[in-house]
This record gives sequence, structure tokens and C-alpha cells, in this order.
Amino acid sequence: MALQSHIRNFSIIAHIDHGKSTLADRILELTGLVAERDRREQYLDRMDLERERGITIKAQSVRIPYKAADGRQYILNLIDTPGHVDFSYEVSRSLAACEGALLVVDATQGVEAQTLANVFLALDHDLEVIPVLNKIDLPSADPERVKTEIEEVIGLSAAQALAVSAKTGEHVAEVLEAIVTKLPPPEGDPDAPLAALIFDSWYDAYQGVVVLFRVMDGVVTPGLKVRMFATGAEYEVARLGVFSPDAMDSKQLGPGEVGFLTAGMKDLSEARVGDTITSAVHPVNEPLPGFKEIQPMVFCGLYPVDADEYETLKGALEKLQLNDAALTYEAETSQALGFGFRCGFLGLLHMEIIQERLEREFSANLIATAPSVIYKVTTLAGKTFDIDNPSKLPKAAEIASLSEPYARLEIHSPGEYVGNIFQLCEEKRGHQKDIRYLTSKRVIITYEVPFAEVVYDFFDKLKSMTRGYASLDYEVIDYRVSDLVKLDILINGDPVDALSVIVHRDKAYTQGRALALKLRGVIPRQLFEVVIQAAIGTKIIAKERVAPLRKNVTAKCYGGDITRKRKLLEKQKEGKRRMKRMGNVEIPQEAFLAALKAGD
Amino acid sequence: MPAKTTKTAKSHSRTSHAGPGLYLHVPFCRAKCRYCAFSSQVFTMEAAAIYQRAVIAEIKLRRATHPDLRPATLYIGGGTPSMLPAWAMEPIVRELAKSFAFAPGMEFTVEANPDSLDLQTAGNLIRLGANRLSLGIQSLSDETLELLGRPHTAKQAVLAYAAARQAGFSNVSVDMIFGLPGQRLRLWLDSLRRVIRMRPEHLSCYGLTLEPATPLAAMADSGEIALPGEDEQAKMFLNGGELLEDSGYLQYEISSFCRMGYQSRHNLNYWEGGDYLGLGPSAVSTMSGARWENPGVLAAYAKAAQTGALGRESAPLSRQDAAREKLMLGLRMTRGLSIKDYNAATGADLLRRNAAVIQALRQHELIRIRNGHLRLSRAGMLVSNTIIERLMPTFDN
Repeated sequence: MALQSHIRNFSIIAHIDHGKSTLADRILELTGLVAERDRREQYLDRMDLERERGITIKAQSVRIPYKAADGRQYILNLIDTPGHVDFSYEVSRSLAACEGALLVVDATQGVEAQTLANVFLALDHDLEVIPVLNKIDLPSADPERVKTEIEEVIGLSAAQALAVSAKTGEHVAEVLEAIVTKLPPPEGDPDAPLAALIFDSWYDAYQGVVVLFRVMDGVVTPGLKVRMFATGAEYEVARLGVFSPDAMDSKQLGPGEVGFLTAGMKDLSEARVGDTITSAVHPVNEPLPGFKEIQPMVFCGLYPVDADEYETLKGALEKLQLNDAALTYEAETSQALGFGFRCGFLGLLHMEIIQERLEREFSANLIATAPSVIYKVTTLAGKTFDIDNPSKLPKAAEIASLSEPYARLEIHSPGEYVGNIFQLCEEKRGHQKDIRYLTSKRVIITYEVPFAEVVYDFFDKLKSMTRGYASLDYEVIDYRVSDLVKLDILINGDPVDALSVIVHRDKAYTQGRALALKLRGVIPRQLFEVVIQAAIGTKIIAKERVAPLRKNVTAKCYGGDITRKRKLLEKQKEGKRRMKRMGNVEIPQEAFLAALKAGD
Repeated sequence: MPAKTTKTAKSHSRTSHAGPGLYLHVPFCRAKCRYCAFSSQVFTMEAAAIYQRAVIAEIKLRRATHPDLRPATLYIGGGTPSMLPAWAMEPIVRELAKSFAFAPGMEFTVEANPDSLDLQTAGNLIRLGANRLSLGIQSLSDETLELLGRPHTAKQAVLAYAAARQAGFSNVSVDMIFGLPGQRLRLWLDSLRRVIRMRPEHLSCYGLTLEPATPLAAMADSGEIALPGEDEQAKMFLNGGELLEDSGYLQYEISSFCRMGYQSRHNLNYWEGGDYLGLGPSAVSTMSGARWENPGVLAAYAKAAQTGALGRESAPLSRQDAAREKLMLGLRMTRGLSIKDYNAATGADLLRRNAAVIQALRQHELIRIRNGHLRLSRAGMLVSNTIIERLMPTFDN
């Protein structure tokens, strides 16, 4: 068990591209944990997707032994956090496992919006935050300006901010010293009942569920009978260890220590992020604060383009779910798309990531329908139920009332964008709740907005309206009755269930027109005319047509051309495999996504 | 000797094609046309000599591998065959005649460009036995010809045509291009009328295709030139076809028109899926279900010809590929695709398998079914790639 006063737990908060991964890489090298020869970019990001998108999807931890200038041996636990608003709960749990955080800011760019939510989250958790100005090796670096910004925007003293270059390694050693001298050691009583915070878990084919945790009080050992506070389920710790960076077994882990355990758990739902691990024999009375059940918030249909690939898709979803407790799926059928799955996600980014992983890691050829939230329906017959798929909505005549989820949005922004943000939130049917000035230039705006409006394209619009300077945090708070209608799309007279969306009545006309127009843009010209109609009930509110294809002909095809021309046609046919044929109309995958962004 | 012929005929039982066809590729051009993606060779005496020796070597090679070949047609294309001097051309044709039994009345076509066809050249070709000339006029606008990088004027084209007639060619085909930069429907119909007045036996009208990586494609990308819109191009095809038909030219293939009885038998053989032996650099052969392609670069071709390596990479055409080609080629012809033949080749019922789309295609008058043949209407030809792709079998494994 490490000496508690010699442990430092920290995470790194940074905007994408500001150098979080590079700094982590340098720290691992400088402390000798990762040898130069094993070096690879973005060591901590496990998935290709994480490296490419520059975001961390899963939390990670690495235990770094470090001999400080005072001659003592320290244990630094770097807890890496996911970096997107969809994962703000996971971020909050990771931060709750730390005493401090490095705020990495690109000295050529300055403070950017997306980091702010996490910085404020860290400050809310009473973390000690050390500002680190990165990329000072670049000629355009302006550390003084960025320091002023940190002080004004975040209200954090930047007097002792460190100026480094993670790329060249310049002054990175000082960062390590600052972690030791500025961050407090963890508190916690080794003799108290065990309380350990789960901040991530994943499924391993050989060991079952692997749980990442931070001990708050007490001691955990292999063989200990533990209980998960939320579920009450009990297990015996099979394997206990730390990542440094490879897995190493430990005899015991005490207060302040970060590690992993396995206990023969088969399902991620048995080790929920934010839950408390305690002793089955001497349990704590109260769990650690902040636990929330993860609920999927956004739903969409995922269908194989080729009906034969249904089983493959099912297998892929099963595999992904093993490592993603927030992903849900169940079989559903669409008249237009055949057999597929209704899948639930934390948010839009989570949805995109899952779709991308299905396509990339499992070569699934997918059609995704527009995302939907969960609506609550009360029928005239007095029944109340939830629907997560617009096509399941009963006929308007049978509905007594429809409610939709509302989210409370907290938007941090520089003051000059307040007007734009108001405009966006009002457009999205929001109600303003609060506006607070943190500094003369920095404002927090609170709105309550229908969650459906948030999932569509709110974040993208917010970013573009504030040049990326606003940050968004949201929480779904309650359900409210709204005047909602189902907007249907008909193609050559046939309704396409997968394109139906639920919208507010006031917006139905504009959205119907926008959607029909958007579909006209994405449906390519074909052999026959395509008529696209938007309808509410039996009333057609918009109509567009795609004129038939005029010309697609090979002028010359003689002996020497035949192979090449055949291959061109085969390629053309192969390209159509990504389209769904309905009647005689071929609808590209993008059409189903168009429903998502019809408001543009 | 007859045993092999019988076997070939059986394994490729066909109804009506003229085949087998013999093709000779002449890779030389005076200048590279800006729309052409073909690799061509700058003409020099040395290159012509290398070419000639290599082709003769290849002929000897094929005489050994295909001793019984009795070509029904000979087509010398290019490139610009009319550029090849008589001293190079003559020995090749004589070697061909010596090696393969030329049938009496064999169709013998030579391609020529207006800049390299005078009375003497045309006369030489006649003396060698050529009886059909295909003249690449392309456009009757000097401005357009210059834009395309054609090394001749409209006047030269008319003179070359007259020279061919004077030399004794009684079967002349003219190549024209429509959909040219700046061209409008009226201009196209005007130039067609002028060509019709010349009374060629055959006309090939090609819609301009911007091949990737050609200067013309780059000019279109940069906005330096603008092609007529799709609708305009479609009208050129449709109205041009009507005009030709009214003037006594029968459309027998997407781009081919002729006076009665003057179809290109050589080209029909391609579309009917007959065998053809291709000689010269980049030439493709399909014989008894196997296909091979000669190296395109002259030096590589010559080396392979001298070492006897040509055709060594011949590969059998799979049943699936053959069926797709049958569909693709059959639908090019106004005669259409024999449904019975096609079903036999694919083992599936074309009409039943595609019932819905075929019904819609008929309703929209894009296809017709008559006498057991599926054929495209003129409007259907305009979108033939889409129709073929749609009907093309996928052959699930």
C-alpha cells in the first residue's frame, strides 16, 4: 500500500488539439514508464477512433511512480477523462476520483469553450487546478495573453501557470514537480469501512468485467467480499491491480489509490460508473455522492442495408454493448427498412461513435434513422406509455396528450454572444431561466429547452453561433405536455415510416418543407421521377420532385473497352448497395440522416 | 484441324454473329486530342519499324496458336492507322493475309484521320484490300476542332472524304462528336445535315465523354470550357437520331447509324459476344472464352511479341462476367438482347426476376419487349448505364 501522503491523483483537462495526449505521452516518457522505443502517439487512447477524432471515449488511468526533487518517491495517478458533453456524467465521476487537474491551454489559441465545462466541473469538485500553457515552442505563442484570459474567463489565478512544450518536452519536468508540490495528497481513513468509487468499467473476454476505481476509505484486497452499493450484488475480488501502464497485480489498495479489480462479473450493468464498492461484511451506511443511473436519452433505428446482414449487426451490437453500458438495443421492424434495431444512446456524439464503430470495426453497412427522444403518450382511452420511435405514435385522434422531455441547459459563453444564444434557444422553444455574469466578459445562461431540440443540432449551431467559444452542459429534468404532431414523408405516394419525425405543431410546416427539400437534394436522379411529400395526418404540407435521370450512357464500347466498361457498371452497382430500394426508388443512406438536419 | 474449330463453336454456341473478328491496333497519332485518354505513340520512323517487326512477330505467334482462324472481318484502328506509311503497313497486311484465310467479301475497315488521308494513301489502302474506311471528322467547326486538339480543319475533312471516294471506297463511315463545348442543339443538327449531304454509308455519333486526366476534363474542371447541359445533350442524342432516321440512316446501336445493309459487321461481332483477336499494343482479344490484353507501351509490347510472351496472361472470362457483358452489350443494339439466350447464360429468368422494374421501364417507354428480345428505346439508350446496372445480376455466392 502506497504512503497516502505520497499519492497525487490528477486528470488533464484540455480542448481537442491543445495537447493533452502529447503531454500525457511526455509524462509517461519522462518518468521512464514508457520507454522511447515503445513510444507511440497518444498512448492513452486505446481505440483508433479515439486517436482519429482526438477525443477520449473511455476513461483510463495510469499509475506513474515518480521520484521528485525532494528525493521522495511519489505515486502519480493520471486519470484520463472522456471529452464531450454526452459523457459529462462520466467526466464528473473521473474528476471525483482526483484531487487536482492540469488545465492545458494552447498558448497560441487561448482558452476554448469546450474545456470550460470541464474546468468548472473540476472547480465544483474542489479540485486544485494548475494551468499549463502548452505549445510555447511555436512563434505565435502568447502566454501572457492566455494567462490574462484564464484569469478573466475562469477566474483562476494564472500567476504560477507553467509554460511548456509537450511536443519538445521543454519544462514538462516542472509540471511533474507542480503536481507533487501543488496538489494535495488524498484524504481517507484506511481503518474506515471500504468505500471505492467506480469511474469506469469494461468487459474483457477472459476476465469478465474490469472495474476501474479509486479508494476513498478503507482497504481492498484480493479475496475480499465486496458489495456494489447500487445493486446490492456481492462478489469476491478475484484480481486486484494497477495499470502502470500494463496491468500489475497488487496485494492491497488503500485510501487515495487508483486501480482495477475483477470479480467474475459478467455484465457491465453490475459495475456502474459512479457506484460505490464497499465491503460485504462491513459496509458503509451511505454510498459516495453523485451516483446516477445511466439512461439512454437518444434513440434511433439501425438497419442493415442488406437484409442478410441482420445477424451480423446483431452480433456487433452485442459485442459493443459488452463495453458500453449506456448502449441499449432491441429488435424492431420498419416497413421501409425491414428488420433492424432500435438503439439507445447517451447523446448524439455517442450515437455517431457507435455507428462509426459498427461500420469500421464490424464492416456493417448501416442505415440510421433520425434520432428521437422518449415521448410520453396518453391516449383518450386513458392509457399512458412511452415511445422512442415516431412511427409508433398512435393516430392523432386517439391521443389525449403528448409530453416530451425538457433539458436544463447551462451555457458558458463570452458576453458578446449572448444575443446569438438567446436567439438560438428561443428558436429551439426554450425558456430562459437565468443569466449570470461570472466576470465582466463571461456569462452563464440557463435555459430550459425541449430535449428533442437539443439532440438534433443544437450543439453544432451553438458552436457556429459563438465561434466555438460557448460550452454546453445539459441535464434532462422533466416531462412537459407539448403540442406535438407526427410529420410523415411519402415517396411516390408511399409513407416511409423510417423518415417520420415528431415535431412541434408550430414548426411542422417549416420543418416539413425543409425536410422535403433536403430529401430532394440527397435523392439522386433515377430512371423515374421521384415525388417527395411531407404530410401531417392526411394533409400534404410540402411537395418536391426529383426529375428523372436524363443521361447516363457509354458512347463507345468496342473490343478493347468491354472489360473496363463492365467494371464501371459493376462499381456503379456496388455503390448502389448503400441505397435502400423502396418500390422503384433508390434512397441513399444520407436521406435518413437528412431528417436529422432538416432545420438547417 | 476441324476438331478444334468444332469445339470452339460448340462451347460458344451463338446465333447470329459474324465473328471471329481480327483487329489491328496502330498506336501512332500526329497529336494527342485533348479528349483522348488513350496512350498513343509519337510517330517516328524508328518506332514504326519496331512496331512493324513486333506486329509481324505477333501474327506469326497467333498463326501458331490459332491456325484455323478464318476472320470474317478485319479492322485496323488506332491511333491513326492512316499515318502508318505504306512500307510499314503493307508487309503487315500481307503477313495477315498469308497467315489467316481471308474470306471472300471480308469486311476490311481502316480508320483514317483527315490530316493523314490523301488520294495516294487511300489508294494504297484499297490496293491492300481495304473496302471500308472510317473517317474521324468529329466536328465541322474549325474552332471546335482546334479546341479539341484535332490536327485538321473542317475543309481538310471534306477533302479527305472526297479523296476516299475518289480512290474507290464505296463504304465510308464518318465519326462525329456531339455535346461539344459551346455546341447547341441547332449547331449539332446543322453539322449532321452537312454530313448527311456527303452521303456516307455509315455514321458513328459519339456523345463527348470527359475522360479523367485528359486536358479537356481539366479545362472543364477549371471552367475554361463549358459543356452543354444534360438536357441539351439528351436532345442532341434524341433529335439527332430522329434526323438521321428521317434521312435514311438506321440506328442499330447506341452510337451507330447506317444506310440499309451497311452495319459494321466487325463491331456487331463485339456486341454479339463473338470471338475477336486483337493485335498490336494495348489490343484486347477474347477467344473461346479467354481474354487477354497486350502491353500498351510500344517497347513492352515489342519485347513481349519477340519473346512470344503475348497472351500468356490470358484469363478465362467467368460465367458471371460473361453474363454481365452479354446484358451490357446486347442492350447497346437496337435489335436488343435475346431473352432466351440471356436466361440460358445466367440460369435465371430475367423478366421474372426484375418484374417490377421491367414493368416500370415499359410504362415509361424506356424499354420494349418484342420477338423475345428486350430492347431499349432511344430514351432508354440515353440512360442505358443505369438500366443495365439495375438489371445486372449479382450472383450471390
